[in-house]
Amino acid sequence: MASEKILRGKIALITGGSRGIGRAITLKLAAEGADVIINYFRKTSTAELTAQEARDRGASAHIIKANLAEPEKIEGMFHEIEAKFGRLDIFINNAASGVARSALELDSRGWDWTMDINARAFLLCAQRAARLMKDGGKMVAISSLGSRLVLPIYTAVGVSKAALEALTRYLAIELAPQGICVNAVAAGAVETEALKMYTADPNLPKPAWQTTPAGRMVKPEDIADLVAFLCTDQADMIRGQTIVIDGGVSLTPLSSPSPKD
Amino acid sequence: MSVEETVKKIVTRIVRKPDINFSPTTTFQDLEADSLDIVQILVALEDTYDIEIQDEELQKVTNMGEFIAYIERKVAEKG
Repeated sequence: MASEKILRGKIALITGGSRGIGRAITLKLAAEGADVIINYFRKTSTAELTAQEARDRGASAHIIKANLAEPEKIEGMFHEIEAKFGRLDIFINNAASGVARSALELDSRGWDWTMDINARAFLLCAQRAARLMKDGGKMVAISSLGSRLVLPIYTAVGVSKAALEALTRYLAIELAPQGICVNAVAAGAVETEALKMYTADPNLPKPAWQTTPAGRMVKPEDIADLVAFLCTDQADMIRGQTIVIDGGVSLTPLSSPSPKD
Repeated sequence: MSVEETVKKIVTRIVRKPDINFSPTTTFQDLEADSLDIVQILVALEDTYDIEIQDEELQKVTNMGEFIAYIERKVAEKG
């Protein structure tokens, strides 16, 4: 028996939705019946490919190019959404960028760039999305363990993710009367194409962060499954929380072996 | 304004060296452009000309002369 599509009829915006974790979320929401709006930064061809994959899952898919570091581009994106769809049910704040520097090497430009895209854009998008969620809705922000753990050269991104998590709590309370649920998901190291470049040589020892107590790394699809759940009515009583999805790695010293090692 | 002039204007603004005169052999390294500068330059040019710059193709570009020629080619392809 075919399972029921839990997000049928919903309209979802996924920022940074064409690649990596964002792509997995886009395709999961599409597979669950949502019509998807894919925001992307630069690569139209990649966004078109992901949109086609979403259509292959039975969804309608629309792409919008917008650099979320620029408030006027965010405004333009929401004007387009309002004109084309008239409403929004789900907003996934996934787009992220960042300058990889230590705290003492970080300059104001790198700080501003990272904060603008990772934290300010969440605020501006949430403000506009809330106006389109006339019958309530769901917002999920993608964070990372760097918001609470200290990772090498991760200062700007880690601080921006801490801001994003705090904003999640404030939005959850402010938007609760409108029937809008706001939560965040904080992932550990995620198995992506980019990461594979560093792990391709089988002769190299396996770094501790490549494994987890659960015995494997987190995949983009794991995050997409959790995000999809947070977009359902079953998650209605989860408000303003940051759900950690890391296979348990943040609970143990990084040197701890996996049960399967 | 020609593509060459536009590229120069955008590059000098983003690397914060408005008075610099660069030659075809000038490199991004000479301009002390960091990775954030380069991303912002590419985004500005993509927005200006509605083109898509392929990062893989840029790997072959070694100096500003080649970079300008690459952007001119992309703009010409766009028609």
